[in-house]
Amino acid sequence: MDSMLLDERNFEVPASQERVWRLIGKVIFSSLPGLERMEILDENNFRGLLRIRVLGFQVTLKLKGEMLDVEPPDSFSAKLYLEGPGGMFEAGQKVAFTMTPIEAEKTRVVCKAVIEEIGFLPGLLLKGQARRFARSTFEAIEKRLKELA
Amino acid sequence: MKTNIPGKWDLEYDVVVVGWGAAGTAAAVTAHDQGAKVLILEKMPQGGGNSSVCGGNIIIPKGKEFIEYLDTLSFKTTEREIIETFVEYALKNADWIRKMGGDVQVFRPLEVAYPTMIAGAGFPKVLGADTVVKYNIKGTPEEGKPSQRLWKFLSGLVAKRGIQVFTKTPAKELIPNAQGEIIGVMAEKEGKKISIKARKGVILTCGGYENDPRMKWDYMPVKPLMFLGTPGNSGDGIRMVQKVGGDLWHMTRLCCLIAFKAPEFEAAFWVSFLSEGFFFVDKYSHRFVNEAGIEVHEYYRELSHFDVEKMEFPRVPLWAIFDEPTRRRGALSRGTAGYNRDHYSWSLDNSLEISKGWILQGKTAAELAGKISVEPKVLEETLFRYNQGCKAGKDEFGRAKEDLRALEPPFYAIQLWPALINTQGGPRRDKEARVLDPDGKPIPRLYAAGELGSIWGYLYQGACNIGEALVFGQIAGKNVAEEKVWG
Repeated sequence: MDSMLLDERNFEVPASQERVWRLIGKVIFSSLPGLERMEILDENNFRGLLRIRVLGFQVTLKLKGEMLDVEPPDSFSAKLYLEGPGGMFEAGQKVAFTMTPIEAEKTRVVCKAVIEEIGFLPGLLLKGQARRFARSTFEAIEKRLKELA
Repeated sequence: MKTNIPGKWDLEYDVVVVGWGAAGTAAAVTAHDQGAKVLILEKMPQGGGNSSVCGGNIIIPKGKEFIEYLDTLSFKTTEREIIETFVEYALKNADWIRKMGGDVQVFRPLEVAYPTMIAGAGFPKVLGADTVVKYNIKGTPEEGKPSQRLWKFLSGLVAKRGIQVFTKTPAKELIPNAQGEIIGVMAEKEGKKISIKARKGVILTCGGYENDPRMKWDYMPVKPLMFLGTPGNSGDGIRMVQKVGGDLWHMTRLCCLIAFKAPEFEAAFWVSFLSEGFFFVDKYSHRFVNEAGIEVHEYYRELSHFDVEKMEFPRVPLWAIFDEPTRRRGALSRGTAGYNRDHYSWSLDNSLEISKGWILQGKTAAELAGKISVEPKVLEETLFRYNQGCKAGKDEFGRAKEDLRALEPPFYAIQLWPALINTQGGPRRDKEARVLDPDGKPIPRLYAAGELGSIWGYLYQGACNIGEALVFGQIAGKNVAEEKVWG
């Protein structure tokens, strides 16, 4: 299937671009809901479990992340692979963050999540859930970045 | 000089390298490639030493301003000309690795752990800090951790050349002649002493003294100190050099993290946290530091406070206190580095270590205090103040608000000790890697490189030990190969 936009969020943070860059990694990991059993495989790869609610049920997903295109302090993107219980479904997302200075102490942050790989049936069933997940994660990132700025 | 030259040598080589890690490999390969017949002696069953279990990063600076940075960090404990020589070679570390058939990639860590291996300078405010760039041997996680990839690459260089290696063969003594030249080594192989003639010279690359309790107690600024690296580093090179009149330097210097020590394991486990929800307390349940603000290699500085009234180090051991989200976030000991990496797999949610009693738990702070034998009221008060600081975004020890998260019950505790990655002390040497006597004169035909008497005499910049091992290994190998054959 073609890539499909899940969510895009655009906000300003009252902090320098350098400061936002320094915060963004920790903020992302602390904003992922229910991230457990995390392993840092090397500087570009990590994996863990995500415990989230899907269609009202508690589901444990396997998460594997790979950092791509790391361009400090401007941007980076990551590929996230999610696998459902027992390999029931798999999905590949690309998440991109850009940080653009507006003023000395003000930075525009754009977060964008796109689904790149998902089966037809899981796509039908889980598209809405994936969109809600991306939205709530970006909301949490925005909230936390603004708190820390 | 007292000599013990054997009537008949058991073996003859041009060059004998004592110790097989990164420095030993660089020395042996360089000497071999210049035509020398080389023997490597290694006391452990396999090579690698600390090089195969460390962080695996290699310093390759961006420019010559790195000299100023290192000169400042050395605090005049290392002559500037030695630092200049190091930087001249270190700038070309990537070229050397490529020439040898390997490749490198920039080290860009996910800086989400406390403490973390940071990508850049350990001391970012020092002039020249922006020249710090760490690399490691190119590869994927499937090809191993950076130090595993490093050792695969280095050991391959030795194998490809067919350089003779004797494992389980500790060097016992250097053999000087009447003029004080080092002309051989006495070693022990399969329970028998063997004498090995070194027609050109001997290079010592056999590491520090992390596993020598007496030397550590004598020299180290905090006591006791555990170790994270190879148990094989027990000061052999230092004793051998002392016996032939060598001078020592940097003996009080160290590279030190924090670690958990299980009685059934010889080495300790490096511990770090994947969540902000933790803090450290001393033996009396008092916090004492910004836990997120410690340079990862310099932990001992915060732990070496000595209480002259109580006559003790009150922060040794310390306790890390954390909560359920931190416990579930990821393994406290992640196998990035350390000798135990290949001997134990820490559970990802730390549950196995709770069942072993390595991590203690309590439903309340008071219950946890009982388990770690501290005053409950003091721990409760410390927790209250930490949580208040988190809510206010202002920590009493200056921990940044992005590094704070209030703890909620249940609580956990793990006992931590200062633990050596490596010591830095050993034989004093010059920019040609020659071992010096107390008058500053080279001991003929004796060289040293790597952690054994490294050039890092005060503050340590991460990735410099491997960088230095490669640089001074090459210098020692080149210079010994150019020596004239004696006898």
